[in-house]
Amino acid sequence: MQKLNRKKASGNMLRYVLLVIGGFVSILPMIYMISTSLKPNGALYEFPPRFFPSLNELTGENYVYIFKQEKFYLNFLNSVLVSILTVLIAAFVAAALAFCLARFEFIGKKLLFGLVIGTMIIPGTTLIITQYQLASRFHITNKLLGLVPFYVAWVIPFSTFMIKSYIEGIPRDFDEAVYADGGSVFTVFFRVILPLASPAIASVSIFNFLTAWEEFPWALTVLNDAEKLTLPIAISGFFGQHQFTQWGYVFAMSVASLIPVLLIFICCQKYFVSGLQAGGLKG
Amino acid sequence: MKLKSRQSRLQVGLLLLPGLAFFALFTIYPILKLFYMSFLNWDMGSMLRQTFAGVENYKAVLSDGTFRIAFTNTLLYTVVTVPGQMILGLLAAVLINEIPHFRVGFRVIYYIPVITSWVIVSLVFRYIFNTEGMLNYLLTNVLGWTGQYIHWLDSRWGGLFVAMMLGIWKGVGWNLVVFLAALQSVPKELYESAEMDGCGSVQKFFYITLPSINPTILFALVMLTIGGFNVFTSVKMITGGKPMHQTETVLTWMYYKAFTTGEFGYAAALSFIVAVTLILLAVLQFKAMKQKDEAR
Repeated sequence: MQKLNRKKASGNMLRYVLLVIGGFVSILPMIYMISTSLKPNGALYEFPPRFFPSLNELTGENYVYIFKQEKFYLNFLNSVLVSILTVLIAAFVAAALAFCLARFEFIGKKLLFGLVIGTMIIPGTTLIITQYQLASRFHITNKLLGLVPFYVAWVIPFSTFMIKSYIEGIPRDFDEAVYADGGSVFTVFFRVILPLASPAIASVSIFNFLTAWEEFPWALTVLNDAEKLTLPIAISGFFGQHQFTQWGYVFAMSVASLIPVLLIFICCQKYFVSGLQAGGLKG
Repeated sequence: MKLKSRQSRLQVGLLLLPGLAFFALFTIYPILKLFYMSFLNWDMGSMLRQTFAGVENYKAVLSDGTFRIAFTNTLLYTVVTVPGQMILGLLAAVLINEIPHFRVGFRVIYYIPVITSWVIVSLVFRYIFNTEGMLNYLLTNVLGWTGQYIHWLDSRWGGLFVAMMLGIWKGVGWNLVVFLAALQSVPKELYESAEMDGCGSVQKFFYITLPSINPTILFALVMLTIGGFNVFTSVKMITGGKPMHQTETVLTWMYYKAFTTGEFGYAAALSFIVAVTLILLAVLQFKAMKQKDEAR
């Protein structure tokens, strides 16, 4: 028995070692990014390259430069605004759609659900040309809020699919009780389904936030003016600006743009995991 | 449920309306328009007057050498990164599933690359793989494995290699979380009875774990294949298709044709070829997994 335990302990040791190595590889590039953002810009082309800045060259000058630029705050607020609007609109629209698909029979329901699933397969970027034409027809190119309807449309299929599966798990007795009391479809949706499905709505909302926060090809295509850009476009613009990339600025801005995402990730761990797992297990 | 009163029908209609409107206008209409456009002569010069071109655009795409390079690159990217992420993610999930402590901690650390935006991680990789960058310094000056610096970003295979490494590195965490959930749903009794029969860890993995998580493997396979064909931001940021369009992927090449040279008809046909390829691949994957299921 003791021998068995020892074998088990050494097996666990091996597991921990492998996991630590993997974890190290996972965050090493991020640590390198942070350490580079703390070096003076001149030191970035030094030889030999060093992973960490030496103590006496440790500097916050890249952050000071970024935070002194009015543009940075605008870009940051733009990203916040677009992401939050996308999340709120998508949550409501997808939940309503999911509720109808889960609970009622109507003409074309199968077709609608088939289209929702089918469009998840087609990469969003392939539609960029005709979506661009549509945006120009509505005169919403180079307009910050013009991003939102397209982001909402992109996240609707996945969100609807996830919320619908969740609603199907809520017993219909709850609905029936409300109808028996003379409640309407609206009462059931707003008073029963929305509150009960909130864990599913929360977990898709986190993914929708990330999608909008990091979206690149579409914002790159439709936005031009510096004060209208979202963070990913602003960061990529910094990168191409000079002949020698100012890596210190690029990475300082990247770190700043990561902070909201990390905060959400840490606060909402539970929803992150449950959302992913639901998708994986349903298959 | 059948709807009886007029009022409830109206309310269901009102709830459906916003979703249908968004979906129809911003997704379905662009798809139909794209299909129509792929049969037209439509470029910068003919903005106002488009003529019907039949399948000319499709012919142009399929006979274009750069498209073939881009398609091959995308296929290679998918074939390398999808199994790469799945195997490493599954391995990490199996390891985490069996340890007594720090499960959440490891999961968080492995998930950090997933939540970091593509633009940022692409730039970090570009910095690491720079010719004068950290990796070359380590390989050549510290370890002495390479005689001279490798120009990672200046060649087709070098650029693709960097993009693939990034794709695998960024995707492991997602696979880990998805597979971990699947592993935890495998009934413990199966393992116990296998142990009675004297099965070792390896046998248990191949005879119990893998078949039990088959649906999750299929789910990951389909999602990741779509993701692989979707590769855009990383390649655009890391190589920008250089040198000489050697590292283009289907989407970066489509984007170039649409927004740099303005050949919309060509780009539309290309988009459709990509979409159809993906739908076929998804159907094939479902069929193959089903057959495997039935064979057992």
